[in-house]
Amino acid sequence: MNMRVPVSWLREYLKTDVAAKTIAQYLTTSGPSVERIEKDGQDLIFDIEVTTNRPDAFSIYGLAREAHAILKSYSQKSQLLTPKGLQTNLRPDTNYQLPVEVIIKDKNLCPRFTAIVIDNVKIKPSPAIIKNRLEKCGIRAINNIVDIANYVMIELGQPMHTFDYDKIKRARMVLRETKAGEKIKTLDGKLRKLPNGAIVIEDGERLIDLCGIMGGKNSAVSSRTKRVVMFVQSYNPTKIRKTTQALAFRTEAAARFEKGVDLEGILPALGRSIFLAKLTAGAKIASELVDIYPSPQKKKPITLSLEKLNKYLGLTIPSSKAQSILTSLGFATTSTAQTITATPPSWRTTDCQIEEDLIEEIARIYGYHNLPSKLPKGQIPDREDSILTRVIELKKSLKFQGLTEILTYSIISRKFLELTETAEKDAVELANPLTEQWQFMRPTLLVSLADVIAKNQNLRPNIKIFEVAKTYEQVESDLPKQDLKLSVALSGASFYDIKGLVENVLEILNLEAKFEKPKQNPLFVKEFSAQIKVGDIEVGVLGLLSHKIRGYFDFKYPAVAAEINLTTCYQLPATRKTYKPVPKYPPVIEDISAIFDQKTTVAEITSSVKKLGDPLVKQVEIIDIYQDPKLGKNKKSVTLRLTYQKPTETPLQEEVTRFKNIIIRELERLFKAQIRK
Amino acid sequence: MNLQIKKALEKAKAKIESTKTVKELEQTYVEIFGKNGLLTQLTKSIKDIKPKDRAKFGQSVNAIKKEIEAALAKKRSSLDVLRSAALIDITAPGKKQQIGHLHLVSQAIEEIVDIFKKLGFSLQSYPEVDWDWYVFESLNIPKDHPARDEWETFLVKSTAKPHYGSLVLTPHTSNGQVREMERVKTPPVRMINIARCYRRQIDVSHTPMFHQFEGMLIDKNVSIGDLKGTFDYFTSRFFGPKRVTRLRPHHFRFTEPSFEVDITCGVCLGHGCRICKAGWLELGGAGMVHPKVLETGKIDSKRYTAFAFGWGIERTIAMKTDIGDIRLLYQNDLRFLEQF
Repeated sequence: MNMRVPVSWLREYLKTDVAAKTIAQYLTTSGPSVERIEKDGQDLIFDIEVTTNRPDAFSIYGLAREAHAILKSYSQKSQLLTPKGLQTNLRPDTNYQLPVEVIIKDKNLCPRFTAIVIDNVKIKPSPAIIKNRLEKCGIRAINNIVDIANYVMIELGQPMHTFDYDKIKRARMVLRETKAGEKIKTLDGKLRKLPNGAIVIEDGERLIDLCGIMGGKNSAVSSRTKRVVMFVQSYNPTKIRKTTQALAFRTEAAARFEKGVDLEGILPALGRSIFLAKLTAGAKIASELVDIYPSPQKKKPITLSLEKLNKYLGLTIPSSKAQSILTSLGFATTSTAQTITATPPSWRTTDCQIEEDLIEEIARIYGYHNLPSKLPKGQIPDREDSILTRVIELKKSLKFQGLTEILTYSIISRKFLELTETAEKDAVELANPLTEQWQFMRPTLLVSLADVIAKNQNLRPNIKIFEVAKTYEQVESDLPKQDLKLSVALSGASFYDIKGLVENVLEILNLEAKFEKPKQNPLFVKEFSAQIKVGDIEVGVLGLLSHKIRGYFDFKYPAVAAEINLTTCYQLPATRKTYKPVPKYPPVIEDISAIFDQKTTVAEITSSVKKLGDPLVKQVEIIDIYQDPKLGKNKKSVTLRLTYQKPTETPLQEEVTRFKNIIIRELERLFKAQIRK
Repeated sequence: MNLQIKKALEKAKAKIESTKTVKELEQTYVEIFGKNGLLTQLTKSIKDIKPKDRAKFGQSVNAIKKEIEAALAKKRSSLDVLRSAALIDITAPGKKQQIGHLHLVSQAIEEIVDIFKKLGFSLQSYPEVDWDWYVFESLNIPKDHPARDEWETFLVKSTAKPHYGSLVLTPHTSNGQVREMERVKTPPVRMINIARCYRRQIDVSHTPMFHQFEGMLIDKNVSIGDLKGTFDYFTSRFFGPKRVTRLRPHHFRFTEPSFEVDITCGVCLGHGCRICKAGWLELGGAGMVHPKVLETGKIDSKRYTAFAFGWGIERTIAMKTDIGDIRLLYQNDLRFLEQF
């Protein structure tokens, strides 16, 4: 959370000659970061990021306190002054006392409740200094009383509220949780329907405060107000947070209450507000102080081992130095030869609870830049890398085959999901999507690749892209299945182009692939696609992208694609490569061309030829396939290249002819092939 | 030298000199060294020489033979050059295989992995859709804690599981911390985990999906100094030796102490300029692993200490290159992708 800090205000409590820029630099290095410095007339404004664990520093005085400790460690002189009126006497000024009846239904809602009534209030604009400071911090000045509440909040970090005493029915305040359906009109004029469990105050008749977030309109201080309840508390941070989340409404006060406020700082804040009310509105205390504080904050000393401290820092720091740092931050310390025991100040009790918290305080004030920088010693663990390291190599191999890697969002729209024909119940769906464009975790990368082809198709007809990413499938009451997949898409290319690429990929993965008839897949044209298998395990799919995809993305050119499950592939045993002696004698190589029925697959042909040619035929390659009406209806010509080879000599022509004749005869018999001479 | 020999040499040289093509040169060679060639005839004529002069004659013939051969070789190479120059335009495009491109994010990942591997870190991979427990609770971020606000987390429609809670898209890679501890059980641990992360935000410096990398080292006696050293090692290799890092106090629930890591701006090297404001750019978050997190991962926090860090890859790319708007990385315009 960020805070605007006028440097003039900061300097009211931090007396030092150090330049603003230098203060900012030291704060950033050892404390809350000054993210920006703006000029505002004669003044400078620091924009400071205060981390959520430091609500104590989310105030002008808190930052002055912090800067004071930090400047000291940089050997810079400074003095910390406390705001006036923290110790104001809260005894009544009047000889009459106005009654206030307070009932707290559940003490867990409100660890400390203080209130006091002031009379004789003259509502008017605040003095210029208060108005200016509030405005520099981005808060609109309203009148002297309302401004005090905001002023004290910014200055001390303690939010507070003011009620018009005369608007509180029967002078009664009941603090409780909301019941279903309750409503309140807040100061900003909005009628808010409250969730269950919000903390509210009810007077004799109605709700008058949405505690910790914003006061009720019905009890607000106005220009006619004479008597005011000055009201400072702390609330259960979780309750405040839940309410702000349910209402989607967060105020400066709520941002502080949900992080917790210093219980011991409540009375001083009330004192300061009374001091200011007397000063600016002529107020007189007209009631007893109400202070309900059932379990006062306990001091919790922490013992830090010096050995541990030095281990963390990587150097030896004198105990006295460590103690003086803690003291400068308000800790009370004692020590032994081996330990320091430090009791955090009241404003740091929630933040500082364990040894490591003290180490952080000492280390940051000592200066992280003063700690050594060295490479870790110790044993290197013997641990295998995940498959991602192998993926890097695979991606590079694709790059060198001319493909360009894309990166698309893993979150897709409902429309894209529909294209995959995945049922919504099987998909991983977001409960709080940012836009309609991103609603489901994708079960396949292919639709995203099709989208990228469409976006780029005006550049050139041939696009070659790939992506490696996880895909997501719902698994009943378990983590979704999150397999890593490789998807490739080629536009203006054929089935055989993508098949060749897939064959290359599997060769790189050291796997022997088979291609079989595809299962039903809405992304591909059935007749022009195949499933990819290694042994009996399906590892992917490839083929021509379906007409539906082509139509939806308005492809100018047909596109082919493949998706391979890498998680599966990397779990499969790689093909073992074995040594075979390099043949000593040259082979005889001869081709056979024949006309086959189109339905006859080359796999059937080659496997028959291999069987028939054994042991003389060592290799059967398909070197040409073509179709032509001249060959006859539904016919194709296939040219096979046969390698005849023997380990002991070059095969004799008679042997070759004998095998060749058998092969030709059987091709004619088995496949009704017409041999072409 | 014999006049006959001198004449033969001059004749041969003249023939070679007048040659215009490699083919002609071959013809010339035959004319000199062939069956009836100039030199062959000269050698044959030795029988007409008086026996006492024959040795000298032979030496002279050999000498001019060498000279002629040298002249031929010289001519041949000059003709070769001429032939090449006439046919080749070295500025015309060569015949090459098409080479594609890796995405900048992949290039960065490879570089990062290589650097950390040298320090003994291994690359691990953890779920990108994970239980609330691993993403928040195990990291000391209870339900309803304001610290959760820092991550604009996407929630998944699912039924909550006892202990693990509901499913979320990981807004950071730190879900790998306790998962890694559970897997390894006994330190030392040196791991990096690179994954896609998701947050509900989009602007010039944020995309709803981005890549984060996480490092964690658990061992005996791990100090803030080790963390600093590791960062310095990484940044000097990844960003170059001129750039340095600094730690700034910060707060994360799962580390104590916690830091923001800044790196000097690449433009002004830390002097301050219009791009970086004060000379530093925010790189990512880091810290010493909170003892509660170690204990949750069943690591004895009395024996072991650990550091962890994490930051966005896209951010580091933006810092290293001139890409001002990181959404460009996800637009998948080939004209962009093919630049790298």
